[in-house]
Amino acid sequence: MNFIRTVIIALPKGFYTTLKHLFKKPVTRKYPYERREMAPRYRGKHYLERYDDGTERCVCCGLCAASCPADAIYMEGGETDNGERFAKVYEINLLRCIFCGFCEEACPEEAIFLGHEYEFSDDNRDSFIYTKEQMLANRPKEKPFKRIIRKVRRIF
Amino acid sequence: MSSADDNKVTLTIDGREVTVPRGMTVLEAAKSIGIEIPTFCWHPKLKPVGACRMCYVEIEKMPKLAVSCATEAMPGMVVHTDSDLVKQGRRAVLEFILLNHPLDCPTCDKGGECDLQDLTFAHGIDDSQFDFNKYRFIRDKKSTFDDYRLGPEIIRNQNRCILCYKCVRSNKEVFGEYDLGAFQRGNITEIDTGPGQQVDSIYSGNLVEICPVGALTNTDWRYNIRVWKTQKVNSICQYCADGCNLTLWKDRQKIYRATSRRNDAIDEGWICNRGRYGYQIANAEGRLTVPLIKRGERQENATWDEAIELIARRFKEIKDKKGGVCIGGLAYPGLDSASLYAFSKLFRTILNSNNVDFRIDYKMLPEEPGDLYTQITSRKFSIAGIENSDVVLVIGSNLINEHPITNLRVRKVVTQKGAKLYTLNPFATKSGDISTDEIIYRAGTVEALINGLCVSIVEQKLASDTVDASKLATRVEPNTVAQAAKISGVEADRIVGLAQALGEAKHITLITGELLSTSITRDAITAAIMNLALLCGMAENGQIGFLSKYANSKGAEKLGVMPLLSDSLIAEMKTLWGGYPEQKGLGADRMILSAKKEEIDALFVMGSDPMLCYPDGQFVREGIEKLDFLVVADLFETRTTQMADVVLPLSSIAEMSGDFVNLEGTVQHFDQAIKPLGQSMPGYDICNKIASALKEPLFESVARMQPDIMRLLLREENPEIQRELREVKTSVEQASGEYTVPLFVVDQAHHFAHLTERSKSLSAFCSEAHLELSPSMAEKLHAETGTLIRVESEVGKVILPVIISEHIDNDVAVVTRNFSANPVNDLQMRKQRVDYVRLTRVEEK
Amino acid sequence: MEKKVLFTYIDDPAQVKVETYVGHGGYTAWQKALKQMKPADVIDEVKKSGLRGRGGAGFPAGLKWSFVPKDSPKPRYLICNADESEPGTCKDRVLMEHDPHGVIEGMAIASYAIGSHLCFIYIRGEFGGPIRCMEQAVKEAYAKGYLGKNVFGTGYDLDMIVHTGGGAYICGEETALLNSLEGERGMSRIRPPFPAIEGLYACPTVVNNVETLASVPHIINNGAEWYTSMGTEKSAGTKIFSLSGHVNKPGNYELELGTPLSYLINDLGGGIKDGLKLKAVIPGGSSTPFLLPDQLDTKLDYESIAAAGSMLGSGGVIVLHEKTCIVWVIERLIHFYRHESCGKCTPCREGTGWLEQLISRIERGEGKPGDLEKIESICDNILGRTVCPLGDAAVMPIQSALKLFRDEWQYHIDNKRCLVKSEFAFA
Repeated sequence: MNFIRTVIIALPKGFYTTLKHLFKKPVTRKYPYERREMAPRYRGKHYLERYDDGTERCVCCGLCAASCPADAIYMEGGETDNGERFAKVYEINLLRCIFCGFCEEACPEEAIFLGHEYEFSDDNRDSFIYTKEQMLANRPKEKPFKRIIRKVRRIF
Repeated sequence: MSSADDNKVTLTIDGREVTVPRGMTVLEAAKSIGIEIPTFCWHPKLKPVGACRMCYVEIEKMPKLAVSCATEAMPGMVVHTDSDLVKQGRRAVLEFILLNHPLDCPTCDKGGECDLQDLTFAHGIDDSQFDFNKYRFIRDKKSTFDDYRLGPEIIRNQNRCILCYKCVRSNKEVFGEYDLGAFQRGNITEIDTGPGQQVDSIYSGNLVEICPVGALTNTDWRYNIRVWKTQKVNSICQYCADGCNLTLWKDRQKIYRATSRRNDAIDEGWICNRGRYGYQIANAEGRLTVPLIKRGERQENATWDEAIELIARRFKEIKDKKGGVCIGGLAYPGLDSASLYAFSKLFRTILNSNNVDFRIDYKMLPEEPGDLYTQITSRKFSIAGIENSDVVLVIGSNLINEHPITNLRVRKVVTQKGAKLYTLNPFATKSGDISTDEIIYRAGTVEALINGLCVSIVEQKLASDTVDASKLATRVEPNTVAQAAKISGVEADRIVGLAQALGEAKHITLITGELLSTSITRDAITAAIMNLALLCGMAENGQIGFLSKYANSKGAEKLGVMPLLSDSLIAEMKTLWGGYPEQKGLGADRMILSAKKEEIDALFVMGSDPMLCYPDGQFVREGIEKLDFLVVADLFETRTTQMADVVLPLSSIAEMSGDFVNLEGTVQHFDQAIKPLGQSMPGYDICNKIASALKEPLFESVARMQPDIMRLLLREENPEIQRELREVKTSVEQASGEYTVPLFVVDQAHHFAHLTERSKSLSAFCSEAHLELSPSMAEKLHAETGTLIRVESEVGKVILPVIISEHIDNDVAVVTRNFSANPVNDLQMRKQRVDYVRLTRVEEK
Repeated sequence: MEKKVLFTYIDDPAQVKVETYVGHGGYTAWQKALKQMKPADVIDEVKKSGLRGRGGAGFPAGLKWSFVPKDSPKPRYLICNADESEPGTCKDRVLMEHDPHGVIEGMAIASYAIGSHLCFIYIRGEFGGPIRCMEQAVKEAYAKGYLGKNVFGTGYDLDMIVHTGGGAYICGEETALLNSLEGERGMSRIRPPFPAIEGLYACPTVVNNVETLASVPHIINNGAEWYTSMGTEKSAGTKIFSLSGHVNKPGNYELELGTPLSYLINDLGGGIKDGLKLKAVIPGGSSTPFLLPDQLDTKLDYESIAAAGSMLGSGGVIVLHEKTCIVWVIERLIHFYRHESCGKCTPCREGTGWLEQLISRIERGEGKPGDLEKIESICDNILGRTVCPLGDAAVMPIQSALKLFRDEWQYHIDNKRCLVKSEFAFA
């Protein structure tokens, strides 16, 4: 009796469970080829935004550095040719940063945002001090045609 | 209830009783018990105006809210500083101020220390009902913001101004300047300069500090750093001998600005631009950071060990061969006390030489120790004590240039307390604007004039009875007022008038300055002034201030950085060091003379620049060229370091802690702000290294040396001055030949000695030497501002641009000496009391 | 009723000449005061006459003179305030242009009373005519020995300086006038210290209006009882009223104090223009609250007008008929006050600017709901909270207009146009 229960009934039941999944779609995401979409408010690496005409939004007011609980932001101010205030030096130490988002909340100019990028591992400590140039958002996207022309030109 | 004492008033503030002197306002009474009433337009040193209406309090039995800054405390008043009505009143005032105030906080330099931010946060509402566009003072229609440069250092943004009027009030009441004023009226009032003018007086930096919001900002602080990131360090100004207290603001290893640290005994919260912007030399470009050794024709970088080894070897050679008298030392009197003490100890104990001196800008010093001049300068002078005088007499000093903060105190006693100021100078100065009589004497005749004054006092029977005045006529020459008038070029009735004022005064402050103390006839002048002081009774009712010039000149005097010392000081040193060299030491100019005669072979110059500052360029050049070995320690490359065999990098005042002794004799301590730059070292460490290489270290640590230093600095020598009239004979040199215009070499208003030209902000005010002429002289030469004039004396010539003076009106030439590109000391001769020059216009090719 | 005291010879063009003036009995009071009376007697006489300041405040003149400390070693100054800029007031210019010697004589007697040897007359800069007349009259008075050294041989010296202002209403306020005379910005000073103790150059100073000083010779000549016989018990004597606005015969009329307002408007002024009905009267220059038609019988003296809810002020009576939009009137007034505010204290400076923006928005028809409450709260924050009375002067007509004519304001906001179709309004 036990033999029937354990072998005849239980074994095929187990095999069936396994076989069932042979034809089901797997839930595994094949990272890095498929990436999960982050929530819209996900707090990843910082980026500094620009206005539509290309001017940097950051005026180096110091509020992000003041609100940072980890003291991860360093900045030095300077004057542009127009006489406006801007950040000559702006650095965030991403190893100190705890990605809380206080800097984004504190910014009065809507200049700093925490984006969706989370893939920035590296093999030495110094490269984690991200400078302003590394964090500045790109210029408005060029048209694809222009981009191809530019890339072709670079080859020659 | 009124108290029995008529001078005191008792009132109740917020339920607490307080008793205050009569005449105090409610605001100050509340402050005295720790209740802070918010204000914008009130300042402890300005007259209250009641403009901002922020200091409302509710006083029982008064129908309306009262402004506490203007209401005198009356006996029995019951004051509420925090009732609902008061709170509503404050919110209303803040709402009114914020109506047209721009939302500039992120870019405004004042953020973090702004009165408006702090008070709005404490007392305001966070939403306004104003729904119109804010008014904008448009400067340039195309740009997006309205900053306007009012002067080399001040930037104004009128949108942020809350019209507290503190800047224009302090400018007019305290400084006596009229370059900033209010224009238009109502809510479109603008604070501006006159058309085409700039705000560039020597006190202009205070306007930025006094502004409660970011309407007036400094250029040197602009956009650099936020105030909450900085740390404060207590410091003392390193330039003139007033010794104003500063706060240096620094972060990491850079100093960002200097502000005032109010000391009511000295500066009352005001500092001049030199102190305010002079900190920049610490972080300036061009600082020497490694020692240099001259090999061949060039000076090459070396290590400290190499340099010290070379110095020790050469010094030892010279000392062994010819004795310690062949080595001399010149120290800069703006160094801290520990460095000066180590310098003196190095020479006297290790090198066995008494040739140390700091008085590098004096011509031909007299040689006796303990003379009358030293007796007078060792008496105490009090800056705050000037306020007790009813007559202030300034002789031979351009006070606003030499001691700007003492000048403010003199202004205060004249404008607020009705004292009378008399100035006796060879040319008219700005500080004489408020004087009752500004007497201009012919150059080189001051003791004749003072003798005339003494004679006139005795003739008017106003002489003090503590001295026997009968023998005056035989002791002084000239001994008649008419003769004195003829020699000095001053009308006789003015001499008589001044003598009368001095004789009838109750308390006199007498101040002398650089134009007298560096003169070769200093002894005669001192004797003449002493006679005058005795006849006016100044020893009992007054104070005499022969004001020292540099930040630590008085310290250098007290520490004995001089060749010939009084016996008591020698005894002290013997106690401290166990010995004292016997040979007579040489003063600064004698040292250079001996160098020229090849009797002195080596010179150690710490911090000074004799090539630029000594009043005879040719003489000092010849002397230094003849030296076998020259060691110079300084912050920057100067004309003297270029001639040195070894150049050592010196740390600036901000890079060490130490003490200064100001002109009053007060010892003031300053703290270290940043680490020594590069490989530079403080003066005491350099001396210690040399001493260790020669024989033995001078000290284990500076802290251990401090008690000895303080012992010397706090020594009080109050010699009794003999109450006897002294002999004063006058000798007047006449100008001869073609050189007829008297020359005066002074510091430019914004500069001091040889260091300040490295400061970026001070150079923005003035960056080159110039010649100042009266309008009539300029017309004679057909010169306008900027025209180049060749100034020639018997021994040298310089070409300088002209500035037409607003004050000078006699025929003199005043040149500025702080710029190494144009050394004006080439024109001077050390044996001549007054230098004469000839001016010709440089023709354009 | 109409009674000519100051205006006795006002229509005689020769009155400006000193000979005519003396012929009409001029400078006898000055001689009488110098030769027969002591300064304390002069002050007593003026006190007994009940003369009140005619510039707007109504403070008893004799009492003000008696505040000057008798034993102060500093020199005293008398200043005649001829900076007449209150909208609706034009009486002082007439006195200066047509009877300058009367003003000079009054100033001389007042100087003698307080012991001043130097007096000033501060004339508004825009008054070209009065300035020329006063300068000419002063020259004539000096020439005839009524001013200068040793007047009438009594050993008393008196110098008079004619000073022109730069054109600011605020300089009519006494402390701003003192600042302007000293050469500084015309901004008010805080009080205490009061000008009678520390005024011009920190010396005791008395500032009086032109009309007040012009009344003094008549009081000295005819006695205090004669003056108190005119007017009412608390408001003695006569006053010049400047009648303007929608009346048939606008102009300056000198009346005994206590005359009913209706007499001035209907009998002397000829009634309302175009036969329209009366809407409101501003009795004392633009800083005073409105009076309604049912208060037309109010007597023109300080107490009665105050009891009716307004102020006698400077006597500039402005009459408005029924086709006037009150909002437009207030908009004109607040524009004036904002333009003339000196800019020292925060409530007046910013408050008048904000009020002007709000009121002109309502007047144009762009008012928002809640604007009236805003205006009321701003007025509450200005009233009584300023250094000088200009803030109160700006606010009182607005508060009065909101109280008495609120429906007009509400109509502007709700319907975005004027209730009264006036030809001047924008909506």
